[in-house]
Amino acid sequence: MNSPVSVSELTRDLKNTIERNFSFVFVKGEISNFKNHSSGHFYFSLKDSKSQISAVMWNSRAKDLNFMPEDGMSVLIKGRITLYETRGSYQIDAFEILPSGVGELQIAFEKLKKKLYDEGLFDERYKKPIPLYPEKVTLITSETGAAFHDFIKVTENRYPLVRILLIPAIMQGANSAESICSAIKKANSVAYKSEIIVITRGGGSIEDLWTFNEEKVARAIFNSKIPVVSAVGHEVDFTISDFTADKRAPTPSAAAEMIFPDAYDLKLRLNVSENSLKRHIHYRINKLKNELSSIERNYYFKRPADLINEFRMNLDALDRDIKSVTAGKFRNIKTNIETNRKLLNSLNPENVLKRGFAIIRRDERIVTQSSQLKIKDEIQIRFSDGESDAIVK
Amino acid sequence: MSKKKVTEDTFGSSYKKLEVILAKLETEIEDHSLEEIIEKYQEAINLLKICRKKLDEAELKIEKLSTEEEN
Repeated sequence: MNSPVSVSELTRDLKNTIERNFSFVFVKGEISNFKNHSSGHFYFSLKDSKSQISAVMWNSRAKDLNFMPEDGMSVLIKGRITLYETRGSYQIDAFEILPSGVGELQIAFEKLKKKLYDEGLFDERYKKPIPLYPEKVTLITSETGAAFHDFIKVTENRYPLVRILLIPAIMQGANSAESICSAIKKANSVAYKSEIIVITRGGGSIEDLWTFNEEKVARAIFNSKIPVVSAVGHEVDFTISDFTADKRAPTPSAAAEMIFPDAYDLKLRLNVSENSLKRHIHYRINKLKNELSSIERNYYFKRPADLINEFRMNLDALDRDIKSVTAGKFRNIKTNIETNRKLLNSLNPENVLKRGFAIIRRDERIVTQSSQLKIKDEIQIRFSDGESDAIVK
Repeated sequence: MSKKKVTEDTFGSSYKKLEVILAKLETEIEDHSLEEIIEKYQEAINLLKICRKKLDEAELKIEKLSTEEEN
């Protein structure tokens, strides 16, 4: 209290105090005196019926804004308070400006929708299929919200086989966009391998649901490697996130019905499968049985004696063949013998002698020529009925 | 290897296998020997048992990813 401080010392103190205590503010108001400076910085005032405060948005952030603020526009601003020492004035350093009036929101919605549509973020070809029988599902929602309970209740009744990983997130208001984006990132990075991410919250005003119309949320959903089901608000509420998600469900309960098969149906289907399985195997076995009995009914299996008789007849035929062949042979041999006997008979010298011929021998040798004989030679003459001795004269 | 497979049996994987066998029996029953068909039948019956067990014993598990753990 004793020694006075300088203006700049006081200003410095004020700056430190203010900037430390207001390092993040979330303010709603109406834009006035809006100036888009040639440097790209935005200068304006934010006001309501009683007060106003200066605001600035530097060009580094202003260039990312997907709409152009105008005087009279209702907005939400995220930023911090800074004190400009030279003039001793404070202002909002805006990080983000969000339209908040219904009219403005609608315009911003349409603009972002067109922008992302033009970029192809809603294209069917980017939609990832939702697995049929998921084992693990990540749920991004507020733990205390009705959406969480609705989703869990339906899941429990329908498909209790699943494991749910809850990543709590702020589902509306300041920080909700960051919270949801970080939850999506965690779901994608965490060791727990989810097959589906469900982002859900119950119904609310357009402002309540606005987070899901923010570009970064829509993009985070689009960029997720795991398929995302967006179930935000009620049937009639469509958000940009619904368009970038792989699937949109009208309500939290509908999301659970959409992604999980009904265990009751599955049990019925198992019964059908079992019946059809049994039918197939019986069909096959019966078919084989029929084939077997048709073989059994075959003529030979029915009367084996016929088969034996047939063999026997074959044997008899062979026997007859052999007999006729051998009998023929014997007849031929007999004929040959008779012929040869007659031939031999005709050659018998006895027969020749009987016809008046005689055999002359001298000294036991047959004489065939008269020159072989001399006078006084003693010879034997053989007739058919005996021999006589004679002397040649 | 086969031990690991048993522990990895899930409703979804078992149900899909069952569907594959049924489709095979429906369309290719003439192409397989009786022994193969019976083997497939036994496998299918076993899968049915697994699926029913999973459905009957299922209990919803909910885990929470604590944010402290992440930080």
